[in-house]
Amino acid sequence: MSTAANTLRYAWSSRRAWWFTATARTRDRFARTTLGSFWLGLSNLLSVAVLAVVYGTVFKVEDFRSYVVYLGIGLVVWNAIAGAVQSAPNLFRSNANNLKNTNIHPIFYSLEEWSFQVQSFLQSCGLVLLVLTFFQPGLPLNLLTTGVIPLVNVLLFIYWVPLLLCLLGAHFEDLFQLVPIALQLMFLLSPILYEKKALGELSWTADLNPLYVVMNSFRHALIHGGFEVTHPILLLIGNLFGILASIHILEKQRKNLPFLV
Amino acid sequence: MMTTGDTTPILELHDVWLRISVNTREARTLKKAIIHSVTGGALRQTAHGTEIVALRGVTCTINHGERIALIGHNGAGKTTFLRLVSGIYHATSGRFKASCPVFPMIQKSFITGAELSGVQAAKGHYLLMYGNLRGFKQYLKDIVEFSELGDFIHLPIKGYSEGMSARLLFALLTSGSHDCLALDEGFGAGDARFFERAQNRLEQFIQAAGTLILASHSDSLLKQFCKRGLVFNQGQIVFDGPLEESLSYYHEHCC
Repeated sequence: MSTAANTLRYAWSSRRAWWFTATARTRDRFARTTLGSFWLGLSNLLSVAVLAVVYGTVFKVEDFRSYVVYLGIGLVVWNAIAGAVQSAPNLFRSNANNLKNTNIHPIFYSLEEWSFQVQSFLQSCGLVLLVLTFFQPGLPLNLLTTGVIPLVNVLLFIYWVPLLLCLLGAHFEDLFQLVPIALQLMFLLSPILYEKKALGELSWTADLNPLYVVMNSFRHALIHGGFEVTHPILLLIGNLFGILASIHILEKQRKNLPFLV
Repeated sequence: MMTTGDTTPILELHDVWLRISVNTREARTLKKAIIHSVTGGALRQTAHGTEIVALRGVTCTINHGERIALIGHNGAGKTTFLRLVSGIYHATSGRFKASCPVFPMIQKSFITGAELSGVQAAKGHYLLMYGNLRGFKQYLKDIVEFSELGDFIHLPIKGYSEGMSARLLFALLTSGSHDCLALDEGFGAGDARFFERAQNRLEQFIQAAGTLILASHSDSLLKQFCKRGLVFNQGQIVFDGPLEESLSYYHEHCC
């Protein structure tokens, strides 16, 4: 446990470096575009608009305003989780040179990637929520009250799950091929475009899908408000446990990483 | 075993072994002799697959202030030793104790991606070393002046020539000073015109280091900076003594 504590200390002491390099990447991503990082939110908004019209018609949705909010929040959070998970298996491989030749702790690269994903998520989520507020004015208030813990859960989740996948990806190259397929299947099986009750007898599959559970907790808190804290707190405990477990595994695997990438 | 310096041990290795599992298909199909020549270690089959023994029972103590030369042919274990003492590799067995951080100068790439600019690379490097940006302006000025990049420092590294990248990396890594420096000779310094200035800066940088571990094939470079030599062969230290004797041993027994 002392090594995990040392790792966390290193993560804290190097925070300005990994946050800076992630910010530089985010800025560079849209450096030559007119709209800059506004594109992050805009691309999500376009997806939400098109999917809401198409699936709202297909599912013969009666309350279109509610459906747009439901789909919009679900999609933007799912995209953030999926983006973080999808980039994970290749993370250590893309930093192979530094892993082999510098003594920078590998957690640095995972935190840099996490910061990049967090910055992308916050920018896209911010714009989407702003637009969705026209459909449901109570969203900002819910975000600042009941939405805080579920939001923290999303942010923690997109750190430790990708970290575990990084470590697995360094060992098993098949993961790089498997993850996109698994994500696509999980997306189709998750009540994002449709309501959970539409799954009928298969609705239990959604409860077993951790990506959906984390996403839905946030969406539920934003849409319905209320002060149901048990579920978010349980998720928070699960996430904290996940972070400690993934860092422990990282420590155990650290000595092998330069030879695996 | 020889020790010099102020007799405060900063690196202690006792019977240190480093075994590397080789999982690639290429390694499984390559002939032992080829791998042997590349790694210098012994190849053996274990229950878990193929394994290379990169360091074999290394025992030595390095005291504060010592200037150590690592001598040996390619693949003898010099760079592996540098990576081990600087914390990149971890010993499979044996006891290794480092009483101060060892800065490895082996890297040939930036910590930031090639799509970012030279300024961003310098800032990332500075933040990683110092944790804040106090004094960064002066640091950047020094980097730009020395690397002769001028306004190119604001452009993405992916647009730099090989020489420009090497000059910037060299300038970044040789800024500041370190308690203990693990330096590999293969660490480049850019084009020929830059080489002389780089040599001067490198000399100052090495002189400023508290303790030096230098891996090189150049006798003159080793004689310039080092007092003690460790001769490596097939992952083992086969001789440990004064530099002149170490070089003689190497030329007589290992060449």
